Parts: sequence; structure tokens; C-alpha cells
Amino acid sequence: MADTAQENLVTVTIDGVQVQVPKGTLLVEAAKLIKREIPVYCYHTKMGPAGLCRICLVEVEGMPKLQIGCNTAATDGMVVHTQSANASEGRRSVLEFYLKNHPLDCPICDKGGECDLQDYSMAYGQGFSASIDPKVPKPKAVDLGPTIVLDEERCVVCQRCVRFDDIIVGERQLVLKDRGVKNIIATATGEPYRHNFTGNVTELCPVGALTSKQYRFKARPWDLRRTTTSCTQCSVGCQMHVDVRHGKTQRTMTVTNDDAISDWWLCDRGRYNINFYDHPARITQPLYKQSGEWMQIGWDDALALWATAINEAVKANPKTVGAIGGGRLTNEEAYLLAHMHRASGVQNLDWRAGRQRQASPGRGSGKLLDLESVDAIVIIGESPAERAPIMDLRVRKAAFQKRAKLIRVGSFEEPYPPPIPCQDVASIADAVKALPQNAKRIALIWDGVDVSAGKTAVEAMPQDAQVLTFITGEQPNARGAEAMGMLPQAGAMDTSAMLAAAHDGNLAVLSIFGANPMLHYPDAPFVRKALQNVPFLVVSDLFMTETAELATLVLPAKAAFEKSGTTTNLAGDVLPVNAAKSLISPDGALTDLEIIVGLAQQLGVDLPSAEELDDSVIKRLASTDESFTFGDERYARVLRQAQHDTKALRVVLQTKIFAGGGTSAHDDRLAELRPLPEAAFSPSDASALGLKTGDYVDLILRQAQDDKRRAQNDETVIHDLLVDVRANMPQGSLALIDGLPDDPGNCFPEGAHVEVTNIRKTHAVLEAVTP
Amino acid sequence: MPVTKVLTAGIGEADLRDIDVYRKRGGYKQLERAFKTMKPADVLEAADKSGLRGRGGAGFPTGRKWSFLPSNDKPRYLVCNCDEAEPGTFKDHMLLEETPHLVLEGILLGAYGIGSHHAYIYIRGEFKRGAEIFNRTIEQARKAGLIGKNLFGTGYDLEVTVHRGAGAYICGEETALLNSLEGKRGEPRLKPPFPAVAGLYGMPTVVNNVETLAYLVPILEKGAEWFASVGTERSKGYKIISISGHVQKPGNYEVALGTPVRELIEIAGGLREGRKLMAIQPGGGSSACIFEEHLDLPYDYESLAKAGTMLGSGAMVVMDDTTDFVKAAHNMVRFFAHESCGQCTPCREGGDWLETVLHRLVEGRGVPSDIEMLRRVGHQITGINLCPLGDSIEPFLLSVLKRFPEQFEARVLKETVSA
Repeated sequence: MADTAQENLVTVTIDGVQVQVPKGTLLVEAAKLIKREIPVYCYHTKMGPAGLCRICLVEVEGMPKLQIGCNTAATDGMVVHTQSANASEGRRSVLEFYLKNHPLDCPICDKGGECDLQDYSMAYGQGFSASIDPKVPKPKAVDLGPTIVLDEERCVVCQRCVRFDDIIVGERQLVLKDRGVKNIIATATGEPYRHNFTGNVTELCPVGALTSKQYRFKARPWDLRRTTTSCTQCSVGCQMHVDVRHGKTQRTMTVTNDDAISDWWLCDRGRYNINFYDHPARITQPLYKQSGEWMQIGWDDALALWATAINEAVKANPKTVGAIGGGRLTNEEAYLLAHMHRASGVQNLDWRAGRQRQASPGRGSGKLLDLESVDAIVIIGESPAERAPIMDLRVRKAAFQKRAKLIRVGSFEEPYPPPIPCQDVASIADAVKALPQNAKRIALIWDGVDVSAGKTAVEAMPQDAQVLTFITGEQPNARGAEAMGMLPQAGAMDTSAMLAAAHDGNLAVLSIFGANPMLHYPDAPFVRKALQNVPFLVVSDLFMTETAELATLVLPAKAAFEKSGTTTNLAGDVLPVNAAKSLISPDGALTDLEIIVGLAQQLGVDLPSAEELDDSVIKRLASTDESFTFGDERYARVLRQAQHDTKALRVVLQTKIFAGGGTSAHDDRLAELRPLPEAAFSPSDASALGLKTGDYVDLILRQAQDDKRRAQNDETVIHDLLVDVRANMPQGSLALIDGLPDDPGNCFPEGAHVEVTNIRKTHAVLEAVTP
Repeated sequence: MPVTKVLTAGIGEADLRDIDVYRKRGGYKQLERAFKTMKPADVLEAADKSGLRGRGGAGFPTGRKWSFLPSNDKPRYLVCNCDEAEPGTFKDHMLLEETPHLVLEGILLGAYGIGSHHAYIYIRGEFKRGAEIFNRTIEQARKAGLIGKNLFGTGYDLEVTVHRGAGAYICGEETALLNSLEGKRGEPRLKPPFPAVAGLYGMPTVVNNVETLAYLVPILEKGAEWFASVGTERSKGYKIISISGHVQKPGNYEVALGTPVRELIEIAGGLREGRKLMAIQPGGGSSACIFEEHLDLPYDYESLAKAGTMLGSGAMVVMDDTTDFVKAAHNMVRFFAHESCGQCTPCREGGDWLETVLHRLVEGRGVPSDIEMLRRVGHQITGINLCPLGDSIEPFLLSVLKRFPEQFEARVLKETVSA
């Protein structure tokens, strides 16, 4: 074993320093090991060599011409010079060519101070070209799409952005157009550049050609205060840098050694949803509702009122008190939330506040890096593309680059972009049939919604294969909250039971932490009635959410970059959450941890010390490593279609990364990215109904005979939905976007069958006026 | 006369586009013989022994190129490069239009020789008539059972697909051609991997020039030894030379390699009355010029390389004393700058730079530093590009700049220049 490893190593000498590297290692990577820089523009560790920029020229002894370090593999005994006269002259020549047409507008360029063209010109070049002729003019400030502005003159045509769109994302939207010195970067179709990962091109761009609309003209790198933390927008937990200036978050950047979680990328939600911290709608003071009127009160009064309500209710009947939340809190906060409640006799605790039923696959859990070495990936329910976007890039990598078989079961989402081979099948049995023979390692990605589907899939997988399961959570720390004890034990009520009890007037106090069931829990009209019937409803959140509106007491909480702790991602990794340095947060807001500690003091509950807390959190996370058990079936609301009828289509919900009522709705810079309310139909249902993409419809749910939750003749209607006819939408279902504040998809019960009414044919009108 | 007729035999005498005419003259006999009596390895051996070198420009030994194909069971492709666009070259154009069955027979033999069941011909976009003729040629051949399934009852299937370019010089570079053939942007690929390992659709691929493949037919007919007996030590056989410029009878002439340059000019009718030879560009737009003192140079790969230029595609442009070398240099550089795909830096920026300076010189708006600038930038471009196009920009410019510096200097700060 050791011998083969030895055989596969070669020794190469770079600038007089010997280094041993595996056979096939490229010189640029070998040089990094001995802290030698071979400058690159087009080469990228995650995308490999392109050979275009010619800046990585090195001299290799025995080779007549200069070689490019990015595509020259180290061989045994190779002697490389990066600083010889020849190599230096080659590099200087290339740099001079770059400056022939580059505008050298560094003083007004966003990249100034962290630009590879500036840096390399200073280190290896001369800072100007000898050309006396005018530079080739090209379009400036091109609006490439909702997130990106492009300066074609600054572009050095390294094509990293083009290759990212091709190799990493598979969208192939960006292309190089025209030729020679007139080359420009553009979208292939001329349509706006738009997908969930666009922001990465601004970091890949070695110069100031591709810039984020958000960060343009905001700061110089040396003005920024940087904190490294974990993104808590979804359950992946990408490592990221947060850059703050003037007390505000200015931008986020990838952490370029994070191979395990983010694979060096960020999704656009994680990258761009950072402008809500100082939104005027932030709650900055506890609010108490008296006879329908909100009034501001102090923290001491708020905590006292709350403690009194809990004490009285527990004294009367502890079963009438409950708490929901934890999935958006840190591990420490979730632990204290559960601990404090149980210590004061409250057992009704649950993190679930939406459609997701389960967060941890226990011992069957896989790590994100494992996705690169599986033979097949089976996706059940919603794909990770919108729920856990960066994980989806790893799925695409597995399918596209590593040739793993990708199978989606019952998918109703957009198909994967063409270079990524994906097979859509109708049932789990079909998925098992589609598995490659001899598949030894299989990744199962489940959205955690339909428990019986998840269970069937796990049981259907081949016995002799290693199955790695991933549950893409709706809430970033769902897995952590589950491990920290925010789950009802035997005899206690879960969220569903708590809402039913509340509806019937059997719940006295309900505390909701960082959750918005009004926007995410199925059947919003029912949730509304239930929450309205709770005499003392406490909501801790950043904004006056739909749920907070119904509360008795609203507590201003602090947000992700404003607090520290740990979070658990969908793969069970415990990741640090660090408060961003020099970020100014609203005066009156407290972290949920501070709120819980305050309440515990009022209740007279002893809380663990900081050390004990860390200890308990670690122990609890370790103990989640148990066998894979599915949650109680009674949580499951199986979304299965019995009979197909175009008159009554089954509603399914889909996550979209920019939908949502909290941080996304209160980030003014995301306006262009938020999805419009739409309903996706299958082609056959659409043609039966006479619908085309672009039409508008209303949906109506008439009261069902056996629905005890609704009064007679009670109708639920959702208006003005844009029709999207989608090829892989299953017949008999229509998909709505989850979590749109104005048109909440959860206004219907789960699996409800609705009628399509009031069809407005925008196309018909257009066709009529066209001669 | 040293002019021979091997590939050019029959052109201008009979309608070789008619399959019956071509067959009556012995056409497709070698194909039938190869399929019925020879193994693919025998065809490769014949190509190898004949010493045939690539006639597209690089002059790489054909047999050796084929032998780089890995022995695996992946499908492999033969691609015939008919994207002839090198300035001054017009031989493939003629073969395609005048003797298309010979071209097809060469393609089929080449495909058989490398064990390919699908051959492609990439025809330059501007060759509209040629492409139409070739499509008819393929129809005729298919009817005659020369393309398709189970050829000559041997069980060997062979398909030929015609693909037309869209007007980019760079697509004559073999990896750019493969990209274009796959429907991608026509820009050269990074090597390694080489096409022999991962070419068309990622499969082992050989790309050969029209003329190269066509020579397979006479080589099989008359034997590798016959071909190898002609020419010089390392430049064997015949070659069609496209001679143009200031000669009285410009055209394609098929000669044995090693024929002295002086004789070639005589074959093409010599210079015009009373004119003096100034320069010869011997191997297409990418080659450096040779001059009067090189007239006795044998026209072969090695001799021209020794003289600091190359044989290239075999396109000789003769220039007499009416030539404005500043204009000529600008014309040549402008062509390459315009045709640069622009993906790699020295070619994209350097070509533009030289073109801009030369444009000023042509207009008489040169400044004293321009001459030195041309020299410096010209050297700076060379040797560091992704593909050969970048290295093709300067040879003509620098060779005439060295020879006729006074013509360039005359354009500095002056309105006019004597012709």
C-alpha cells in the first residue's frame, strides 16, 4: 500500500525548492504547497485549467518554449523556474498585452485593492502598456441581470464566469460573443442573467468587470471589517465572510478553503439577503397588545407578563402551555428553550412550523462531500435546488462531472439544465429500477415532508448498498433543534396537536420563537383561527410577521449576524455562528438566548452555566447518532393523488429561495429577485383547461363535506396567479410557491383539491391585436 | 517539365464529378481492394511507409498521427479538414470541386485505415458550390454501395457526414474545428488531451487535410515505395502548390517536393516583363518571406524551415517591385487580428496592437517609435499562445520589416510614400 502511494509521488523542483506531489499534479497547485505563487486568471482550482490567460508562464528545464503552469503536470525530476529572466519576460509581455485595452480606471473600480490585474501588474509587470493608440471602446455598466453589472472594457476575457456557468452550474447562460479584440461577455439569448448562483461570478472575476449591484461603489476592501461565520439562510451552513462598514453589512464572500460544506460557492440568497438588518420594519422594542392596540413596553415588564402567564397556566393545567421554534435559533438557544420549558413543567415543545416533519436521518446521515463519491443520487420530493442550493451544486457535480446517476421521484420542478443528466420517474419503485446495477453507494435526498415517501424510499433501497440520507430542511437549524430536545416526548403535543388544541380553545399560552406558521404551516385560515384563540401568544421575531400580528406579546429578536453560537446543518456538522464585528443592531433587540435567560430568571428556573451548556449541546448532538427512525406517522400528511380530475387539482407547494416573509421580504434590494405568484400546471391539465403560460387564474377551494375545520359555504380563494405550463409537472397537480406573503401557498390545507376559475387569457388579447 | 499529374490527373479533361467517369478511370478500385484484401493496419502501414506528411500546414507524418490512437473500444472518428482558408491557398478548393470522388475515396480509405465507422468532412462555409458538389458525390457513392452498411460484403459499416463551417479561419485549426463540428464556439482547445485521445465528442479522432487523404489513393495504387522514391530525404512525394501574386500564370501546380523555388516561379509563367522579384511568401499567410537569394532553395519542409520560414500549406505568393510592403504587412496582420478567436491574450491584444500601428503607418501617421514597437510587440506575441494562430501574426511582418525597413520608415511623419 505504502509502495503504491510512493510510486504515485513525483518530486519536482520549483525555484530550487523540492516538493513531492502526486503524479499528475499541475504546477500551479504544486507551487502553492511551497508557498510560491504562479499567477493565474483563467485557472481555478474548482474548474481546472483553461489555458487562455497565459499569465502562468513558467520555464521548465529541457523544454524550448515557456510552458503554462496551469496545464503542465509535474513529472519526476522536473525543474521549474518561475522567476527566471525568460519566465519574467513572458509574464511581463502578457501583462502588457492586458493593459493594451484595459481602461485602467482603478480609482473608480470596485475591485480596486483586491484586483488580480492590479496586484500582478505591481508584482510582475509595469502598470501600463507602451501603446499610444486609443483603446478599444466597449459597453460600460451593462445591466446583465438582477444581480450583476458588467463592464466589458475591464474584462480580461479569462472566461471563468462562462466556465462557471457551464461546468459548475450547468446553466450555460453566459457566453463569449464576437471574436478577437471585440470579444464580450453576454448571455447567450440576450435575456437577463438569472439563476440561484449568479453572485459567484463577481468573486471569480479577477478584475472589476463583473460586479454585484449590491456592492457597487460601497467600500474599499481596507474599509471593511471581516467576520467569518456560517450562513444560516438554509440548512447547508456554508462558511462565509461577512464584510461590515459603517455598521452595515456590505457584502458576503465565499471562504475559499471550505471544501467540506460550500465547495467554495455561495447561493444568491445567502450572498445577497443581507440588507434587512437596518430595515425600518425591524421591531426594536417589546410590544404588548391591549384591547386590540399595540403598545411599547420595557423588557422587564414583557418578561414579567410572560412569566406570570406561564406560571398561572402551568398551575391550572401544564398541558395548556406550549412552545414552537428552534429551527431558526442556534443550538444553544434551542437547548435552553427546551430545557427552560421542561424545567417549568411544560412538555408541549416542537420545532416544526411548516411542512417539514423530520430533520435528522440519524446514523444514515451522509456528509456533503460524500455526494462526490456516490454511484447514484435519488431525490424524493422537492429537489435541493431551492431548499439547499449549494448542496444542489454538489449534486450537479456528481451527475455531470463524476457521472453519478441522478434520479428524481415525482418531481414537479424545472428540469435540470441540459448538461446535467437527470431521470425523472413517477414512483419510488421506478427509481429503484432506474438505479445502476452494482450501485454500492447511494445518496438519498429527501425534503422531510412526506414521511411515508421517505420511509418507503429508505426501505426500498438495495440491501447491499450503503445508503447515505440527507434531509433538506426548511429551517436552517432544524436538525439541531431536533437534537436539542425541541420535540414532544410521549404524551406531549406536537405542533399539529397544539394548533388543534388552540383551535378548540384548549391552549392558554403559546410561545413561538423565530417561526412563522401563518406563512408556512399548511391551511393558514385554520392556523389563524387557532392562534387567535390562544389567550397569551408570544412571538419572538425580527419583524411584525403574519404570526406576530396575532400575538399578545411580541419580542424583538436579534438576527443571524448579530449573535454567536453554533448551528447544525443538514449533514449533522456543528458549525460556528459568529456575530459580525462592528455591525450595528437595533438597540432594543435581544438575542433569543438573552430572552430565554431573562424569562428563566422570572420563572425561577436554574439554567446551566456557559460551560455546562456547551457540554450539554455537544452530548446531545453526539447522541443523535442513533439508528434511522421515522417520525410518528401521524405527522405525515401523505400527498398522494387518488383520482385525477381536472376540475379539482391537487395543490403541491414548492420552495423558492427568494420567497419568504421575514428577511427576504424585508430586504429592499431583493425586489427584483422575489418570485411572482404563479401556479404551475402540467401540459395536459393546461390544455384541458385551455391555459397557456402567461395567462392569469384564480384558485378556489370550496368547503369540503367532511372538513370540520371550516364552516358551511366557507371558501378559500387565491387571486391572480400567473400560469406556468411545465413539462415535468405531474398530471392532476398544480404547484404554488411556498411562503409568498401576499399570495401564501399555504392558504389551502395540505393536499387540497382546488378548482381553477376566472381564467384571463392575456395571450388571446395579444393575438387579437396582432394583425 | 517537373509538373506532374497525380491528384490533378484528369482535371480539365473529364467530368470527374460523375462517378461513372471516375470509375472508368480506375476510381474506387483501391477502396474495393483495401476492403476486400487489406486489413486496416495494412492501409496504415502504406501511409507510414510512403512518408506522406500532412498537407494542411503542419507537415506531421500521417502514419505516425494515426498510430497515436489508443487501442480501446471507444468509437473513433476520421475528420477531413476542408476548411481551407490560409491566405494564398486554393488547392483543397480545387480538389473538392474538380475531383470530389478522389477526395471521398481518400476519406473512406483513411477511415478504414484507422478503423473508424463514421467520417466527417468539415467544409469551409464559403465553399458553397464545393459543398453542393460534395453532397452529390456522396449521394452517387451511396447509390453505388460505397457508403453505408456492409461495404463490399465485408460487414464493415461506414458513414460520411458533411458539415459546413460558418466563416471563421480559426476553425481550420483542428481542435477549433472539432468544437465547431460539435456545435460549440469555434475556438481551439487546450492540449493535452490531444484529439487522438479525446477529439470529436471526446472520442479518439484523427483530423487530416483533404490533400493528405486524397494522396492515399495513388499511394495504394502505385505503392508506398513509388511515393517515397520522389522528393527529398524527409519530404517525400508530391504536393500541390498554389502559386499566386506577381506571376504570369497563377494556379495550382502539382510537383515533387524539393523542386527549386526558381523552377516553381518559372512553372507559374515567371514574373511580369521588366519586373524585379522582391519577396516570396512560401507557405501561406503564416509564413515569413524568403528573398532573391533563396531562389535555388529546394521547396521542401526542411529547407524552408532552415531558411527561417515554412512550407505550410504550400501556398506561394510572389511579390515584385510594385509591392507596398507596409500595406501588404497591414493586410496580413489585419487578417489574423480579425480572425483571432480572442480567447487567449497575446494573440487577441497583440494582433490588435500591431494592426493599429500598421494602420497608422499605412495612412502615413506613423511616429518614430512605431518601427521599434512593431519589432518588440511582434516578438512579444510569439511562442506563448494557446494555438498557432497567435504565432502566425508576425512572421510576414517581421521578415519584410527586416528586409525593407525604409518602406516603413518612409511612413513616419510623412503624407505619402513612393510605390
